[in-house]
Amino acid sequence: MITNLKFMALEKFTYDNKLAKNFAVATILWGVVGFLVGLIAALAILWPEVSMKLPFLTFGRLRPLHTNAAIFAFVGNSIFTGIYYSMPRLLKTPMFSQKLGKIHFWGWQLIIVLAAVTLMAGITTGKEYAELEWPIDILIAGIWVVFGWNMIATIIKRRVQHIYVAIWFYLATFVTVAVLHIVNSFELPISLFKSYSLYSGVQDALVQWWYGHNAVAFFLTTPVLGLMYYFLPKAANRPIYSYKLSIIHFWALIFLYIWAGPHHLLYSSIPDWTQALGVVFSVVLIAPSWGGMINGLLTLRGAWDKVRQDPVLKMFVVGVTSYGMSTFEGPLLSLKSVNAISHFTDWTIAHVHIGTLGWNGMMAFGMLYWLFPRFYKVKLYSTSLANTHFWLATLGMLFFAIPLYFAGFTQALMWKQFTPEGFLKYTNFLETYTQIRPMHMLRAVGGVMYLTGAGIMVYNLIKTAGAGKFVRFENDEAPAREVKPHGNETWHRRLERKPVLFTIWALVAILIGGIVEFVPMFLVKSNVPTISSVQPYTPLELEGRDIYIREGCYNCHSQMIRPFRSEVERYGEYSKSGEFIYDHPFQWGSRRTGPDLARIGVKTTKNYKPDSWHYEHLVNPQKTNIQSIMPPYPWLVENDMDIESIPKKIRAMQTLGVPYPKGYDEKAIDDLKKQAHEIASGLRASGIEVEDQKKIIALIAYMQRLGTDISKNAGSASK
Amino acid sequence: MSINEEKTNINQNDHEIDTLTNDRLIKDHSYDGIRELDNDLPPWWKWLFYITIIFAIIYMLGLWVFDWDSLYQEKEYNKEVAEAVKTAPKQQVQVELKVLTDASSLENGKATYDKICQVCHLLDGGGLVGPNFTDDYWIHGNSLEKMFAVVENGVIEKGMIPYKDQLPPTQRLEVISYIITLRGTIPASPKAPQGELLDWPY
Repeated sequence: MITNLKFMALEKFTYDNKLAKNFAVATILWGVVGFLVGLIAALAILWPEVSMKLPFLTFGRLRPLHTNAAIFAFVGNSIFTGIYYSMPRLLKTPMFSQKLGKIHFWGWQLIIVLAAVTLMAGITTGKEYAELEWPIDILIAGIWVVFGWNMIATIIKRRVQHIYVAIWFYLATFVTVAVLHIVNSFELPISLFKSYSLYSGVQDALVQWWYGHNAVAFFLTTPVLGLMYYFLPKAANRPIYSYKLSIIHFWALIFLYIWAGPHHLLYSSIPDWTQALGVVFSVVLIAPSWGGMINGLLTLRGAWDKVRQDPVLKMFVVGVTSYGMSTFEGPLLSLKSVNAISHFTDWTIAHVHIGTLGWNGMMAFGMLYWLFPRFYKVKLYSTSLANTHFWLATLGMLFFAIPLYFAGFTQALMWKQFTPEGFLKYTNFLETYTQIRPMHMLRAVGGVMYLTGAGIMVYNLIKTAGAGKFVRFENDEAPAREVKPHGNETWHRRLERKPVLFTIWALVAILIGGIVEFVPMFLVKSNVPTISSVQPYTPLELEGRDIYIREGCYNCHSQMIRPFRSEVERYGEYSKSGEFIYDHPFQWGSRRTGPDLARIGVKTTKNYKPDSWHYEHLVNPQKTNIQSIMPPYPWLVENDMDIESIPKKIRAMQTLGVPYPKGYDEKAIDDLKKQAHEIASGLRASGIEVEDQKKIIALIAYMQRLGTDISKNAGSASK
Repeated sequence: MSINEEKTNINQNDHEIDTLTNDRLIKDHSYDGIRELDNDLPPWWKWLFYITIIFAIIYMLGLWVFDWDSLYQEKEYNKEVAEAVKTAPKQQVQVELKVLTDASSLENGKATYDKICQVCHLLDGGGLVGPNFTDDYWIHGNSLEKMFAVVENGVIEKGMIPYKDQLPPTQRLEVISYIITLRGTIPASPKAPQGELLDWPY
């Protein structure tokens, strides 16, 4: 090749760094915002006063804001930074269109701002990591297409013959995220700010966690592996350890990842066979995931002396190692016996933060420290500050995760502990939280360290930029791509010449798992056995359910009793798939910061509370228990429910297949008023001043309905 | 192009060697200066992959062919419950219904009260959702037998759940004994009297 080059005419062209720089600035800005919101959420869990009786500062709204900011704003912008910088250089051509790039940039920032505003306002679909409402979903799809269009057009006009492994990962990311986002976002709008998931109950859960799991896979993993394959060898100035490993781990990873979603639903009401697929595909994923790690780490052979001195490489090493740790832990957590302990506890929170703080954060920071001196043609302002950041981030991550591992394990064991007489040892859920509260304080300390490190980075990068001048255009030259015969190239090498075909194969690889898991769930009736006593929600309960979603109750309360003796003892009969068929969307939750609510309305369960208790508790949780960490919800008493939308909501539910009688939408308001009057009269009789139409009445109606359908049949729900 | 020529030797067989590791570089693989080595998959990695695949196959066979109980959650649950019935039967030891006055029983009673009862009756017994324990008005009677029965079986229509499945009889007696000591104390915000005025039998 080197000899050949000398005989070919070189074409001159120019890279435009502006887009990558803009995305880099956005990465830094949203990173700090995301970390800060995370810290506020961590404090809000510890001290309910932090919410200051303001709806947008309650944990239920802060948590989606934090996860969306961290994933889609911070990591999202870092991915785009890396892609817009590396892709033109790997393909030896400028981006296809600066204008599309600009639309992508501003469109993405607009999505982030809209997300922040709507989530704080309680506008949410109630599906984790996919909380954004339908107009924003459409905007995301549009901007994603703009990104993909620009990327594929750039690849097509490339000057190199073959596409490099980083580009494979970028392409797989583009197609898979598009599929995930579209399939999971099918929803029926009833207004600009409200829609219902097209799927319900078990199917909704399965689609949602197929999405949620693969958002981790194809938004937090594959694009960042792509970045690793560019920035790590660049920073170390070393060749990639093994091309063969790149091929095998790439295809294995994208094919296998998509199947593993059900491991988020182990011991839930989804069928055993689906759970089993979730288990085995998670275990088989260890090697393909580690393929990425070892190809990264072994690329550094011969450069370890550099790693000791260069903060960029140090960060990459900790990033890649964290990736290896969390991709080992993931399969471990997918084993049913481990999951029985870890699920619904802080263990999961610790696990995902090794991934985001360690892998995503460190890779982004390393990339930024490498890019800024190149953007500004100047040395990094301070290597020692970058080293300080490295240590603060690494130790902050450990301070964050280790207490949470301890907390998760402790709480799970407390939930399961029986006395010799056969009673639950810790009958009051709150006891099991109070026990781990010190661990949550340590976690917040870890968060402060990580945020401080990021603050030091901001200062260091601003100083770096100030010392130099932004180099927007960089010239390069390469021979034109001529279509040469592939000779005796391997089949994969030939495929690397055909990016469109490559993308189609990647699409096929990622579609198989989803299809095999979904089709039987939607078509084979025995997967969701019907329960005749399960009826649609009354209009008031439906309204209450919307309030439950709006306040983000699912962020702390699960609605899924697993088939364990300890859970049945504590919460009542374990949940059945047929109970959720009218739940658009499902509200199973993923973390129990508070107790499960699946049967809170069943009078024979140990958690049952009368209406007046719910009223007092929602208005001031600390009144009923001083140690409670639930924030007060006084606005539920002040604000009226949305009665006018009820007919529309009933019609929407009918469209989705909920069997309300024909023409019920016209009678719904009367029924709602009647039921609300009944509940409010009962409250007034016990001395509580409240009007019929207040939101709290609907929420109480919903909670008192929860889990009761099945106990009508069984007589007693708990035994 | 910024190929690191100083680090590569072209030997007689036209193979370029990475001098730091002595591994073979792949010809023609260069992307913005990034080269690729021709290394094979590490054997341990391959074995890890094979073993996990074998695990997966056995696991699915266990589910679909051998019907292993441990892979069916309903069977697993039934087994767990059957085991529990065998090893830890709920022995409802009968206690003599007598007000306890010793310090340690009252301390235990207070601990239970502060954990469970206060959620509805408040920490100082002033009452919130449930009635006030400090006054002389009682809805379901104030004899020890009647109070014990309320704790045991609950008054579900009023929101009081039964505690026979949560508290063993001794603990119930302890907590009632503690509640009895609350009568006559001054709570921060006492709930209005409920029920009938009764003589204090203790």
